[in-house]
Amino acid sequence: METTEKRGYCFTAIVGQEDMKTALVLNVINPNLGGVLIRGEKGTAKSTAVRSLAELLPQRAEVAGCRFGCDPSDKAHLCNECKEIPEGTTPVSYGKMAVIDLPVSATEDRVVGTLDMEHAIKTGEKKFEAGILAKANRNILYVDEVNLLDDHVVDVLLDSAAMGVNTVEREGVSYSHPAHFILVGTMNPEEGDLRPQLIDRFALSVTVVGEREIEKRISVVENRLKFENSPEDFFEEFEPIQQELRDRITKAQEIFSQVTYSREVLERIARICIELEVNGHRADIVMLKTAMTLAAYNGRTEVTDEDVLEAAKLALPHRMRRKPFEEVQFDYATIASI
Amino acid sequence: MERVVFPFTAVIGQDKIKNALLWNIINPKIGGVLISGEKGTAKSTLIRGVPALNEDIKIVELPLNITEDRLVGAIDLKTALMQGAKTLDPGILKEADGNILYVDEVNLLSDHIVNALLEVAASGVNKIEREGISGTHDSRFILIGSMNQEEGKLRTQFLDRFGLYVEVESEKDLMMRIEIMERRLNYESDPLAFVQQFAQMTNELKTRVEAAKKQLEKVEVTANAIRLAATLSSSANCAGHRGEIVLIETAKAIAAFDGRIMINIDDIRTAAEYALAHRAQPEPQYQQEEDWQEEELDDTPDDMEPPEDMEQPEEQEQEEQEQEEPPPQEEQEPETIEPPEFDETPPEDPPDSIDSEDPDEDDVQEAGELFVIPRWQDAHVNRQINRGTGRRNLVKSNNKQGRYVGYRMAGKERITDLAFDATVRAAAPYQSIRDKGLRAIAIESEDLRVKIREKRTGGCIIFVVDASASMGANKRMREVKASILSLLSVSYQKRDRVGLIAFRKDSAELLLGITRSVDLAQKKLADLPTGNKTPLAKGLDLAYEVVMGLKMKDPDAIPTIVLVSDGRASGKSSPTANPFDEALKSAQRIGNQNINTIILDTENDFIRFHLCEKLNEKLRGTLLTMDDLKAEGIVEAVSRFR
Repeated sequence: METTEKRGYCFTAIVGQEDMKTALVLNVINPNLGGVLIRGEKGTAKSTAVRSLAELLPQRAEVAGCRFGCDPSDKAHLCNECKEIPEGTTPVSYGKMAVIDLPVSATEDRVVGTLDMEHAIKTGEKKFEAGILAKANRNILYVDEVNLLDDHVVDVLLDSAAMGVNTVEREGVSYSHPAHFILVGTMNPEEGDLRPQLIDRFALSVTVVGEREIEKRISVVENRLKFENSPEDFFEEFEPIQQELRDRITKAQEIFSQVTYSREVLERIARICIELEVNGHRADIVMLKTAMTLAAYNGRTEVTDEDVLEAAKLALPHRMRRKPFEEVQFDYATIASI
Repeated sequence: MERVVFPFTAVIGQDKIKNALLWNIINPKIGGVLISGEKGTAKSTLIRGVPALNEDIKIVELPLNITEDRLVGAIDLKTALMQGAKTLDPGILKEADGNILYVDEVNLLSDHIVNALLEVAASGVNKIEREGISGTHDSRFILIGSMNQEEGKLRTQFLDRFGLYVEVESEKDLMMRIEIMERRLNYESDPLAFVQQFAQMTNELKTRVEAAKKQLEKVEVTANAIRLAATLSSSANCAGHRGEIVLIETAKAIAAFDGRIMINIDDIRTAAEYALAHRAQPEPQYQQEEDWQEEELDDTPDDMEPPEDMEQPEEQEQEEQEQEEPPPQEEQEPETIEPPEFDETPPEDPPDSIDSEDPDEDDVQEAGELFVIPRWQDAHVNRQINRGTGRRNLVKSNNKQGRYVGYRMAGKERITDLAFDATVRAAAPYQSIRDKGLRAIAIESEDLRVKIREKRTGGCIIFVVDASASMGANKRMREVKASILSLLSVSYQKRDRVGLIAFRKDSAELLLGITRSVDLAQKKLADLPTGNKTPLAKGLDLAYEVVMGLKMKDPDAIPTIVLVSDGRASGKSSPTANPFDEALKSAQRIGNQNINTIILDTENDFIRFHLCEKLNEKLRGTLLTMDDLKAEGIVEAVSRFR
């Protein structure tokens, strides 16, 4: 439930798993992208990657003292308290985006928040005690083993993820607050599937497999050993690359607002989605956003065809209509030809 | 919290939702709308855009995790604590009065809450009798729900509460999709500016809605209109009379929106598309409902025929409260491999009508293929009515898991799951007269309240399959495989878990650990070998271990062992042992633990040994013969006796 305080691993020290790393970084660059679901077998650095993201997260402005960490410049999504503050007098502080863990065993009242009992007994007044969703506002909400989460917690999560607002009507309290978070889930598909509804809420999905190349496997082990022998040296060694990535993220965030796309790009995305009979319109929107973020990540301000293809690879596999027992074939070549 | 929302007028397409919502604002008597459709089709977006079109109406959201006290109302804590007075702290049913009550993912709402909601929706009055307070207040609201039917269905009684029903899907037109993308992105980059951009359109629509509201009283309902409405509802085979009433109210709204004072035939026909689909019987199978709708759209409503060989129960309003059973449907060829759409009943509710049929009907297809036993659907049509959330085994959970939906007074048991809020509320009015000592609040044992929780647990079925030579000889193995796959495809939606143990040669093997993974199960099942000896005892022993392990991990799980065997055992563990006696001993051990068991007796030779009957005496489970199975099919038999 706490933010990861002790230093994890270095994101850049993870060997291979490029899709996963890209998907995570894209979400950091553009927090409106909508999260990522990482599927894969045990021991493929899924959790490590998510947790090590903390080291890369950029600074951002917050309303000082706000328990939801509202963005002072985003008037549309302020919490009730922050709305009361007169224009121009908002106190601003700077903090880092964080990775908030949602443990599989979390109870619903801790997730959504509940009545502050102490306050109620002492004063007779009802006060809202914020839960994990409040902490998750403007942060990354990480659910390890997301497929094992209790159904009713998942329902609540879905609701908030969709609206960016957490509405609480329970245990005598009535409250709502912004809950705009990047939902990151990891799961091992062998443990069971996620409900289709929840899958769709993840903007992107990646499947990770263990590295097959001997050389890469060796570097995986080497890096890990270095880390375990002497974390300090390890961090020092990777710091330059870490900083490079941090700079790249900051740069991408700066130019993101200037990214443009042509009519052809839009048509291509729509055509791909129609052709593949993807459910709903979320896929189209996610693909476009992903392509734009990819362009910014690559230092460009114009979305290219390659961006669209790359975006398709991340945004579509989990959205294809599938029937039970049918393997979904995600054919890159077919998509490229659309 | 007030939100900036995507403007109603900026949504492209989805005219059906838009119409249904607008008509409801114009004429709240229509009684709301249920919007069903795939993910990401602007369902919620449109609903949340409604308040911008009418200042008098706000949206009151009913979140899925609501507790009963917040829905109905509870004692006001502050006045109780401070003044010892009992006053009502109204819940959202009060707030919803005269407004829209919106339930997103309405099919996931817990039964406890649905019951409370239904009562109020029916009467328009919320009667509060709880926590020492009693009171009533009006609670007339426009009930709007959105749902994705993949996640489960609504019970018909609840369904009927929604005036209109709309099914949506995504736009297929390229240009429209592009426009949708662009607008969404524009909105996200600057919500306030985007809303401003559509302000004029929103205002125009708002003015039109206001005019229509005024116009509504003037709209005349002619006798012909009523006659047509009645004809349409009766030919659609609607239960009750809410259908025609909603039809007329909707038609009035349509006419008013057009600025007319006369209802014309088209108004009623249009209204019928929205008002009758979810009331037509038999309908719980969405498949059929869609067919019906298409038909209805193509042809004139007069051509609508009641489904053949259906009796038409004439019902009065009150009788709807009871859930009636739709008569069996026609047999359908099971050609689709869509997961069978059925919902499970609690075990204590046995199926009502299972008459024997042509045995060929139950014949399964090739091994590994999904099959849907026709009667499977028949028998379950009426069952899913009882099932709100559409999942298996909605249980009142006894340990601290599950959703907190309400509370009760604590009994004599040791209290582990205190409903703290309710306890404090119970104690609050007496604070002025109790001796508090140094405590902030004095709580006595009669104040104690414990939580009622509701949890959906999936079932857990462990198949123990005889994979010896005798099973390979006939096509029994294929049937078993197919039935496991069918159960699995259901479990994909219903959160069931399935395991598979096979015994052959000298040992039993756990081919598939308890899993919800459809993919994994499919792979494991693909080639289940058959042949050789029959170590029945070993199969049972392994099943016992698996079940005991599961019970340790998840005390709420309700495991069922399904033994598929002819009862014959071979292969000795020691030269003196009798294989069947060993199996009996293993069976006894399972029986002693009160584990649910079902034996599917596959013995179908001319001379019968009745070995399974002996096994069953020890297992104390349910014994099904091949004849039973022919009448029902494995899948159904298993579900029935679980």
